[in-house]
Amino acid sequence: MERNKDVLDKSLEIPVVELRHVEKYYGEMHALKDINLSVERGEVVVLIGPSGSGKSTLCRTINRLETIKSGEIRIEGKKLPEGGKELAELRTQIGMVFQSFNLFAHRTILDNVMMGPIDVLKRPEEEVKKEALELLKRVGVDSQADKFPAKLSGGQQQRAAIARSLAMHPKVMLFDEPTSALDPEMIQEVLDVMTELAHEGMTMIVVTHEMNFARRVADRVVFMADGSIIEEAAPDEFFTNPKSERAREFLDSINRH
Amino acid sequence: MTISELLSQYGDKYVEALLTTWQLTFISFAGAMIIGIIITVMRVCPVKPLRISGDIYVQIFRNIPGASLLIFLVYALPNLQVILSYYQCVLIATVLIPAAFASEYLMSGINAIGIGQIEAARSLGMDFGIMMRKVVIPQAVRFSILPMTNLLIATMLTTSLASQVPLNPKDLTGLVSYINTRDTGGVTSFLISAVMYCGTAVIIGQIGSYIDRKVRIVR
Repeated sequence: MERNKDVLDKSLEIPVVELRHVEKYYGEMHALKDINLSVERGEVVVLIGPSGSGKSTLCRTINRLETIKSGEIRIEGKKLPEGGKELAELRTQIGMVFQSFNLFAHRTILDNVMMGPIDVLKRPEEEVKKEALELLKRVGVDSQADKFPAKLSGGQQQRAAIARSLAMHPKVMLFDEPTSALDPEMIQEVLDVMTELAHEGMTMIVVTHEMNFARRVADRVVFMADGSIIEEAAPDEFFTNPKSERAREFLDSINRH
Repeated sequence: MTISELLSQYGDKYVEALLTTWQLTFISFAGAMIIGIIITVMRVCPVKPLRISGDIYVQIFRNIPGASLLIFLVYALPNLQVILSYYQCVLIATVLIPAAFASEYLMSGINAIGIGQIEAARSLGMDFGIMMRKVVIPQAVRFSILPMTNLLIATMLTTSLASQVPLNPKDLTGLVSYINTRDTGGVTSFLISAVMYCGTAVIIGQIGSYIDRKVRIVR
């Protein structure tokens, strides 16, 4: 798999996303325990683990949709602001794709893609429209541009949502279980778009249950359980020879059916 | 007096009264919508004192009888050196009270949007103002067209408060009092006004359903 990244330079770069000693509680529940994670430019990191393991929560802390109790999150070396203008500005650089698509229901697909660049980045409409149509073409929903989200299938909506995020030219894309709400026949079309993105060199953090995707596309698999990162490894190594008992159990439970 | 006698003698006045009622209704409703939106934005904004003020506004004006508010405006305010015309007093009462209801309907519209779209807006880097203008308010308004239609009708009926102060020209209810103090119109004079209120309400209802069908968000 050829990637558009300069492997030699990589070691000199600051990580795109870096979490240090991140702790998070939901009331009494210790949701994230001393999370340390560093994602380099162009890297595809897949978070897997049993449900309730904290992988979605971890993903959502990176653009502060979830607050943390302590620890540090840095985006390209810059500390994630706690709120206000600075946070909004940093969020423009972090794409996010949700399980439930979350397209704006009152605007067309094309509008959905154009709103971020026009209303937030204040870019000129004409230029944005041209780019938005190209993005929709790239994810294969250009023929649906003038329809409202509810008229599209789940797979089409999710691909449009990916285009909406890409329109902001993010430094990193977060995918929070992007195929979990889809009918089986639509999962692949979304994974295909994500695979293509990965091959183009996008930095991606993906929470998913799609093990084949993890195996084929990930540079690194991060296995979580009970709010902790238990194991990190290259996909081949992780799937064929997991080190931890917890990961073995998890993989066994998946392979059983 | 029969209906035809009433109409021949007071027909012009009825038309004038109908127009006055319409005017009061639409000015009040427009004002109520503007204030209702402002109050609603306050109630969901990140600044706690504003949220609390918005809630307090709604609690006060949702629960105050229109006649009490009008009496306060007409008789109490002059003691505070604030003297308003009767017309202004009526308008203020018929704006402030429906605004509280408008805000309640918008709030339920906001609740119908769902947290997912809010999170999507935030993750695109929208600040509170952009999110309100581009995502939240447009959808909240669409979700609340039918309750707002009812509110417009209720606002029209509330403008009958104008009959409690000397106003010229008179509104539909005020005209009935006027006629019945000069002539013996009785229930019949009321009936004509009632038909005019009902006719207006039916038209408003039709327009409301039409708009709702046009802008309804398919989900």
